Amino acid sequence: MTTALSPRALGVALVALALLLAPVAFSEQQYLLRVVTTAAIYAIAAYGLNIILGLTGQLSLAHGAFFGLGAYTVGLLTTDYDWSFWTSFLVAIVGTTVLGYVSGLIALRTQGAYFAIFTMALGFLVFITITRWESLTHAHSGVSGVKYPESIGPIDFSEPATMYYFVLLFLAGVVYTTHALLRSNAGRSLVAIRTSEDLAKSIGVNVAVNKQLAFTASATIAGLAGALFASLNGFIGPDSAGIDRTFEMLLFLLIGGLGTVMGPLLGSLLVAFLFEMLQDLETYRFIVLGPIIVLLVIFAPRGLVGYLNDLVPARFRRTDTTLSAEPLPAGSTTTNDEVL
Amino acid sequence: MTLFVQQLANGLALGGIYCLAAIGLTLVFGVLGFPNLAHGALYMLGAYLTFFFLTDFGLPYVVAILAAAVVLALLGVVLERLVFHPLRNKPHTHHMIATVGVMFFLVALVQEIWGTGFLRMESPVDGQVSVLGAQVSWQRIIIIVTAVAVLLLLTWFLKRSPHGQAIEAIEQDRIGAALVGINPSMVSMVTFAVSLALVAIAAGLVAPINLLSPGMGDALGLTVFAIIILGGLGSLPGAIVGGFAIAIAEVMASTYISVAAGEAAIFVILIAVLAIKPTGIFGAVAQR
Amino acid sequence: MTNRLTTRTYRTVAALAGVGMLAAVAACGGSGDSDGGTIVIGYSAGLSGGAAEYGVNVQNGLKMAIDEANEAGVEIDGTTYTVELESLDDQYQPGTTGTNVQRLVEKEGAAVVFIPHAGGIKAAQELNSGRTEFLIGAYSSDPAILDSGNELTVMIPPSFDSYVQPFIDKVMTKPNAKLGLMATSSEFGQEWTKATIEKWEAAGGEVLAKNNIDYGTVSDFAGPVAKTLAGKPDVILVGGPSQPTALLIEEAREQGFDGAFLIIDQAKFEELEEFTDPENLNNSVGIMPLPLYEGTEQFIADYQEKFSSDKPVNADIALNYQALPIFLEAMKIAKSVDDPKAIRDAMPEAVKAVEGVFFVPDSITDKGHLQAKGLQAAYRNAQGEYEPFDIEQPQE
Repeated sequence: MTTALSPRALGVALVALALLLAPVAFSEQQYLLRVVTTAAIYAIAAYGLNIILGLTGQLSLAHGAFFGLGAYTVGLLTTDYDWSFWTSFLVAIVGTTVLGYVSGLIALRTQGAYFAIFTMALGFLVFITITRWESLTHAHSGVSGVKYPESIGPIDFSEPATMYYFVLLFLAGVVYTTHALLRSNAGRSLVAIRTSEDLAKSIGVNVAVNKQLAFTASATIAGLAGALFASLNGFIGPDSAGIDRTFEMLLFLLIGGLGTVMGPLLGSLLVAFLFEMLQDLETYRFIVLGPIIVLLVIFAPRGLVGYLNDLVPARFRRTDTTLSAEPLPAGSTTTNDEVL
Repeated sequence: MTLFVQQLANGLALGGIYCLAAIGLTLVFGVLGFPNLAHGALYMLGAYLTFFFLTDFGLPYVVAILAAAVVLALLGVVLERLVFHPLRNKPHTHHMIATVGVMFFLVALVQEIWGTGFLRMESPVDGQVSVLGAQVSWQRIIIIVTAVAVLLLLTWFLKRSPHGQAIEAIEQDRIGAALVGINPSMVSMVTFAVSLALVAIAAGLVAPINLLSPGMGDALGLTVFAIIILGGLGSLPGAIVGGFAIAIAEVMASTYISVAAGEAAIFVILIAVLAIKPTGIFGAVAQR
Repeated sequence: MTNRLTTRTYRTVAALAGVGMLAAVAACGGSGDSDGGTIVIGYSAGLSGGAAEYGVNVQNGLKMAIDEANEAGVEIDGTTYTVELESLDDQYQPGTTGTNVQRLVEKEGAAVVFIPHAGGIKAAQELNSGRTEFLIGAYSSDPAILDSGNELTVMIPPSFDSYVQPFIDKVMTKPNAKLGLMATSSEFGQEWTKATIEKWEAAGGEVLAKNNIDYGTVSDFAGPVAKTLAGKPDVILVGGPSQPTALLIEEAREQGFDGAFLIIDQAKFEELEEFTDPENLNNSVGIMPLPLYEGTEQFIADYQEKFSSDKPVNADIALNYQALPIFLEAMKIAKSVDDPKAIRDAMPEAVKAVEGVFFVPDSITDKGHLQAKGLQAAYRNAQGEYEPFDIEQPQE
């Protein structure tokens, strides 16, 4: 394993370095920095989804709604109620946690596809509430003038680079959390639930409590990402809570690699890059994107990171052991929990 | 009273559409075990194909719908072979994500071919009849009658024909069905074909009272998912009862409470039902 | 084992093919940077998905103006320029508009960005204060876009405020008349509804329950129409994209409504006629169809020929077509293609020098609203004839 770790560690270090240096590289092109900042925010949200879907195996389609709730909490509190960003930010995080917990209580009574569609309905209710409760949310007019975080001493958050590093801080936080979680007992319990709920029960995992915690955590992280999004953009509309958001995050996760540590990040960056490139194709981009998604699911179901993980140990084994060494089972999403 | 009758007729017509679309979706779920998120997009494609056969080929209305149904049935077979067959041993999350890819593709494709604007399909039968003082258009009556006829035909197909019986057998017991020599690949293909043909008929029926646009399937997609979950995934009676119940609830809530209540009604009902019975009204066991 | 190796090879090849495909797409998608002799005009609107038609109409109007400008030659401060339109799709999602605008301004070097929807305009205004500076060509008749006091916004169409009172005067035939509300539930529709309710009540009328529905997603108008008609309205406020509006009007007529329609300015008579039996439109008030304005035949013919289209040519197209040259003229006067403030400051002078199709702007307010004389609207009477009438615009 130690030998296999080095290419991985190198990969992680490269990604971290690239992210740290991004503002320098893009100093001439603010918009690219904005694209990367936005991608980083989506990546944070994707890490939330990764916990409930990637680790625990429950497809939650309410994720975009929690993102939107976080965004609207900060958006409305800093404008209509003139609160400071920091207080609103805290309220957004606590608020989505509580809402996530409560909706988890009901949603997790269902399983499998029922859970997926139940959460989709939940998400849609949030969306309808936002578009219809005009006196509170301004409906389709959206919320404009959302505040940047107030300066702390010399740190001025209206500087794009500062805002970027602020987002990056949270991104590093969720990456580390995911990494630590995978190595913890709690993380193993979640993976056991993903593999088989009955099996998990039989080895003494409290399935209900673990699922509840995973769902709540994923909602919190989505809310946090939404709150950052509102502040970065300065303007939010109902679309920030729509089902399309959920599908986008799903795409990031899938392309990056479900249940992996680096997957959501790489997926978000790659897709952001792809969308940027495909912009000029206008509507043709979906004609290209649709088949790409299908091909990915069929040929690289474990995403970019899952695929890289497959390659690395295989190459190492080829040199030091015989070819008959057991490679990782192809196409399995359940056995490979010790991954990047 | 007139208003009530008027809205009941509207609700029944809408229910017929919901039913046809929901049955197709629930069949695929029953046999293959995943919800097809591209169902709304396929509905949209069905409407455009009907429009194409009707206006560009000059086929009569009924023939145009049937032609669209045949094309979509073939597309169903192709999709099953190209996309879902290679995924058959993968977790169902993968199927669902693949259907999202199919959805993106179809919507963009239709937009390239027929443009982004709205299209209007002329109603083949104009005019309306007065029922208890309410004005009900002939098209709505046609929708209700056709929906019932198709439902009867489908029941006959599932209970009496060999292909239909094989579908039911697989729904009930996949391994058992394989043991008695039912070919699961064949059944998957037939299921997709039937499912897509049904959704094409639904779309063809609704096209004259609706506008065609590449996004027309979005709203229907959400509603139909709610219906099959409400009725219980894979349950045929569930889809039928759910379809009519949801349609009438939607229309009545928007009539007697508010338009927003109509939009939310489906999802409120759904959440309430699942909170009490997590497998839906007719769902017996939790599907994995 | 061979089997396993084959699978792996297969997967590797597939993955490489996938990556290659992405790279190819990326390479094709790469666009050239703007060089010295190019003026990039940015444009962000919904070009895919529902209601993309409107975005494409405005885009065509701009394209036509740009092609004509290039043909005539654009010379600014001694240098000859080619004008280019750089369009990005935002599907009317304001968040995406924000990203698009930044890309257009910083990467493509656009100093002017046209945005034809209020949400996107507001999102762009958030960016447009501080380091990123660009001039917004704002095509929305919602007066709220000027309320934020953004100094780099130029509002192109007449404000819908001008229409509300004259429209009410046309269709409110008796005191206590009842108004049904069925406009689309988009932001724009809601603003119109709010303004109409206020003035209708001020005129002594009665307003019924709000039945605003999303024209883009509601699949069947029969239910909401039946509900509205149950309140026995004398006039119904309708309007959204033209095509669904036509369908809604037809449904209301079929269910026996014989009162008047008050149609918001998003829907256009000339398009409504295409989608429903024009008789259904009798007894309605709305904005004047473009062909009824004098001197628009040539423009309409040119447009239809250029885009080989037989669709009606409406005011959205014409207003954007004639607004673009004003921005170019302002660049000439300001002797700058990239200083948004200087360009904006030159607008009052530029606006006088430019000709147009109809309702040609002759001045610009301090807040940035293009002003023109001779705004008209039309009432379609019981015989199906349009009766144009003048609209007095409030002084800003």
